[in-house]
Amino acid sequence: MIYLKDFSFKYAEHDNFALRDISLIIPDGCFVGITGAAGSGKSTLTYAMNGIIPHCYPGDFYGSVVVGSLDTVEASLTDISRLVGSVCQDIDSQMVSSVVEDEILYGLENFGVAKDEIPSRVSEALEAMGISDLRSRSIDSLSGGQKQKVALAAIIALKPRILLLDEPTAELDPASSFNVFSLLKNYATEHGMTVVVVEQKIALLADFADKLVIVDDGRIRFDGTPQEVLSHSDELLDIGVNVPRSTSLINRLRKRGLYRGAAVCDVADAVRVCKEVLA
Amino acid sequence: MAKFLEYVPGDSLMHRMNPVAKVLCALLISIACFCTSNLVFLCAVLAIDFALAASCHMTKQALGLAKAVAIFSIILALIALLTTSTGTQLVALPWGYIGTGSILAAITVVIRLVACAVPLFLVMYVTQLNDLANSFCKILHVPYKYAFTFTSAVHFIPVFMNDMSQIMQAQTARGVEFDCGFVKKIRLMAPLCVPLLISSVRKTNSAAIAAEVRGFNLRTRDSGFKEYPFTLVDVVCILACALLIVVAVALNVVLPGGTIFMNLLASF
Repeated sequence: MIYLKDFSFKYAEHDNFALRDISLIIPDGCFVGITGAAGSGKSTLTYAMNGIIPHCYPGDFYGSVVVGSLDTVEASLTDISRLVGSVCQDIDSQMVSSVVEDEILYGLENFGVAKDEIPSRVSEALEAMGISDLRSRSIDSLSGGQKQKVALAAIIALKPRILLLDEPTAELDPASSFNVFSLLKNYATEHGMTVVVVEQKIALLADFADKLVIVDDGRIRFDGTPQEVLSHSDELLDIGVNVPRSTSLINRLRKRGLYRGAAVCDVADAVRVCKEVLA
Repeated sequence: MAKFLEYVPGDSLMHRMNPVAKVLCALLISIACFCTSNLVFLCAVLAIDFALAASCHMTKQALGLAKAVAIFSIILALIALLTTSTGTQLVALPWGYIGTGSILAAITVVIRLVACAVPLFLVMYVTQLNDLANSFCKILHVPYKYAFTFTSAVHFIPVFMNDMSQIMQAQTARGVEFDCGFVKKIRLMAPLCVPLLISSVRKTNSAAIAAEVRGFNLRTRDSGFKEYPFTLVDVVCILACALLIVVAVALNVVLPGGTIFMNLLASF
């Protein structure tokens, strides 16, 4: 479980708080999507969850952040990293090796995974991300999307209890993004892993997330199931968060009193609702 | 074609050798080059260098590198030319003269630097950086943080070069003309170093954090999964390179053309 209580943070070099009064509970095994406008504090929120704040970025830290049983202020970054696997936004700087296989090996070697277990872990991670064919490829020869999959595989190989991803599909086309989310969701369900994803593609989050968190100006504006959160499409638009068109359409029907059910998150549901309304 | 210091895949003898043995051999060849001023010997070493490059299918890269080093060493060659007054006098100078020996000394400086640089660069091109770092940790007991610092520095060279190229392309799109004289180009590039420096600092910071969250601090000498045993081929290659030093020193004794100290002095 990840538990943030009255958490606020101000970077040492900034005058304003990046995050203010954040209280959030993420249960074990939950797939959580975090979104918000640029500069709203999404990445800072992930840094708080994986211990990068306060261990790498100094500043004023208020409240508490507990990951598993570790308080992120008291525990070392290495101890937190045993629980939380992170993929950061800048994929190029995350790569420490020149070959895909070595990149996957890096974390496994560092965390002292038994040597007879390493080959199977590498193969499983590559298969899970559908990139077994890239095993011997040079990282420089990969596309942005392939690099993102390698970064994900490198973290998945570590089998962390919590997976924290900052815009993991930023360089992927819509089809590949959907594919990566499907792979992640399946893998997380199979292994009972908690997944926290920061993502701009809200339609993807609506499809896959159990819980959606909307961050606005350093505060959590909405927190709930995708249906609950997306029912506030007007407020979301006001803070710079687009909602899927299907959701927006059904919300308009709800506003006019033509439909009284919950908000919908995908096209199929929207078509069903439209048919009901027209009937 | 491989970028600067980017690994070139292959299955040549040099590719298969132990990384530590490769570095050791390259260093021994370099030392041999500094142990003598015998031009024939240095040319022979240069020929060996290119034979090695050909065996790795890297003749083109080796030629490019040799050209770059030769251009760089022209300054040193000029100093040797103007300060080594030996042989038959050709041109009189206020402080001595340029003679046939001066020309030989200048040529020697260039060939020596090329002959010792090529194997060192070849090693970098035929060895994965991770293998280099891990083998140094396992065999030579080099602390991992130092090995990682070195490999990260080399790893980031192409990344930063790519960043600089992107910044220059962006400026070209805004009308800056980089196709001009060397001095003007440098003047145009100088202000671009600031955004490059900022992005470099950001990238290195992100890389450090990324390594730390993947257990960098837990790594020990035995953490590496791969093993790097020394084979008979490695030992034979090291002995052959050591023999080059013996030959170079012996040539100095049989055909004294200058002491080791004088050779080093002339080269720097």
